[in-house]
Amino acid sequence: MLKILLTTFLLTICAPLWADDMKALANDPEWLALLHFNQGATLHGIGESYIDDSSFFIAENGKENAQAELQATLSALQPLDSSLRCRFPARYLFLARKLAWTESSPFAHCTEYLEWRKQIPSARAVLVFPASYLNSPSSMFGHTLLRLDASTTPDSVWSSWALNFGADIRGQDNSILYIWRGLAGGYPGRFTVVPYVTKIQEYSNMENRDMWEYGLRLSEEEITRLINHLWELRDTNFNYYFFDENCSFRLLELLDVAKPGAHIIEGFRLAEVPVNTVRTLEDKHLIADRVYRPSRAVELQADVDALSLGERRMARRLLENPSLAQSQEFLAYTPEKRHLIARAAWRALRFGQRKKDRSEEAAASGMVLLRTMQANTTQAVTVPEPAAPEKGHGTQMISIGGGQRASQGFGELRYRLTYHDLLDNPPGFLHGAQIEGLDAHLRTTESDQLKLESLDLIHIRSLSPRNAFVKPLSWFIQTGLERAPVYHERQLVRFVQGGAGFSWQWGAMQPYALTALRLENNDSYKPFIEGGGGAIVGALWYFSPVQLHVSTEGIYFANDEYRYSTQAEMNVPLNRQNGLRLQWRQDYWRDDHSQELKLEWRHYFD
Amino acid sequence: MMKKMILAVSLLGSSFVAYADAPGGPGCGWGNMLLKGQSGLPMHFLATTTNGTSGNATFGMTTGTNGCSTSGKLTYNGKSLLAINGVLEEVAQDMAVGQGEALTALSVSMGIPAEDRTHFNAVMHQNFSTIFTSEKVTAGEVADNITAVMQKDEKLAKLI
Repeated sequence: MLKILLTTFLLTICAPLWADDMKALANDPEWLALLHFNQGATLHGIGESYIDDSSFFIAENGKENAQAELQATLSALQPLDSSLRCRFPARYLFLARKLAWTESSPFAHCTEYLEWRKQIPSARAVLVFPASYLNSPSSMFGHTLLRLDASTTPDSVWSSWALNFGADIRGQDNSILYIWRGLAGGYPGRFTVVPYVTKIQEYSNMENRDMWEYGLRLSEEEITRLINHLWELRDTNFNYYFFDENCSFRLLELLDVAKPGAHIIEGFRLAEVPVNTVRTLEDKHLIADRVYRPSRAVELQADVDALSLGERRMARRLLENPSLAQSQEFLAYTPEKRHLIARAAWRALRFGQRKKDRSEEAAASGMVLLRTMQANTTQAVTVPEPAAPEKGHGTQMISIGGGQRASQGFGELRYRLTYHDLLDNPPGFLHGAQIEGLDAHLRTTESDQLKLESLDLIHIRSLSPRNAFVKPLSWFIQTGLERAPVYHERQLVRFVQGGAGFSWQWGAMQPYALTALRLENNDSYKPFIEGGGGAIVGALWYFSPVQLHVSTEGIYFANDEYRYSTQAEMNVPLNRQNGLRLQWRQDYWRDDHSQELKLEWRHYFD
Repeated sequence: MMKKMILAVSLLGSSFVAYADAPGGPGCGWGNMLLKGQSGLPMHFLATTTNGTSGNATFGMTTGTNGCSTSGKLTYNGKSLLAINGVLEEVAQDMAVGQGEALTALSVSMGIPAEDRTHFNAVMHQNFSTIFTSEKVTAGEVADNITAVMQKDEKLAKLI
């Protein structure tokens, strides 16, 4: 009874919050950030909180009404020993700061929170960007997670904590609906905190993704604010949308909590591509430094590149038969070379075994290779650092071009939502990797008005070179509408095509050969869907000032129709966001053939 | 017949011990061995659309220690660095080479001061075969071997 009277007394003597003050406080950017209110950044639920979990709100209508939530929070958190303080420490500290509450140990009774808080370091925050890797096109968009270090110059970051927002797929792995659900909000998204070393194992070792670590300019106070709010988000569900409300968007929201005045999320963000998150932070001068962490695949390649052709062959043979370490042939090499050869073989062994169950034979081979490395003189190999991902061209593209086809001049206008084809300005991208989405070409000729030339919904090519140590598959898939020769017409046909094959690296040339299967629907072929098979053979060259691609492809249809073409393409980067593309092609089909020459000016933007 | 049976039982027993996690219950990872890969992960093409954390997603909480021994300097957060999948061969590689991030992380987690790390790396490198005795060595055995090697070294013995 006394406690109730005391509490009521304290509540009344504290300066009453007038209605206007309440409204102002409810619209404080820090409060809205703490509630994860959508202020127009994305399309879902503008004017309400992104959080779908009712346990996150104290007021009934807290999700839609920031002021009501503020009122309810105030009433619930102000009393001494309020248990809800332990649930919402960041909110308490916000109110305490704004309303000059002067309790010295407000969380003394919150043992779980205090215990957790002690473990999470707050000296430095680092944005980690696992870059793309070949054979996983969707990884081209990258990912972002946050790392929290215990010191501004840590000796080892393995024990730092990694904060990751992703879809919670527990118990639902391997579902075919995986992709759809990830894209359309079918999975709940939540934050998890794990030791950073497990993320290194996952991204660098298992998935062969380079990792870029960007140190952020955040004070310890700001990082503490972020961590306190993170506690509030424990086990809280967001809807996960691959395009806009994804890992990067949520991290930006957290940074908005840490630095409320910075307005990190401003304006409308159609899609949050992780690499653009890095660019946003760079524009806000929040990035202090950048560290490159090569993937295991890149380290293997660097060791292999340091060996001559004969030495590589020796490494390959040593990998298959480790007893060769005792052979005269192997011992003829210098101690430094022996170390390198054994190390290249060891790296290749690890690479090959990483997704398999433990094999006694592999472990025994590994041991021999390790002992050989140890017995010989260590030789360091520098891994070359590629261009950082944020230095790459923008994710969207428009282009204007013109040329001649079948003796008729034409002009072409093009818009591509995303992202990069085989020749687009290479810095910041992997060679041989292409992912294009929503690519529309409009053409106008001397006699015709503007017509749709093609619309690619998706066009992915993954050309991964095979060598003595790694043997990946190359593949492609494409679907959309395009103008194709059908009898004597040039019709806009609907199609899906795809196939798999191989690619190699011979010096500066990257040749490839793929089988192709095509399903087409057009206005002239009798069956609703006509099928055809064929192949694509080509080669790529990536030089600094210019990039080249030549290819020939052909499809033979079940109805005895066929088409084949030969193409040569050249890309000339002008600067980061601009380039010129010259393309020549010769198309043949049963009834005729035609030639086309086109020059395009491409402009990339975000 | 009896001899054969005893032999069979003792072999069974020894293999059981070799695979059991010690000290502590299962999940502590002390039984981890070299080159134990991770099979059965979801298809990566699909996984990158969600970037989620499957399996036991944690929140940095070490709710108890799952019965794992927290004694000794090689444990942190209830689980040994060596027990994390993939780490044992990283440490083995770094010891064979004489330096590296895994070796540094190990010495940091063991509380070895910065000025002693070069010496620590050198001693580990020289004693590689004593620490990684065979391809069947477990994380727990490696931890014990590291301690034994350190004890024999004048400077490092003081740091145990």
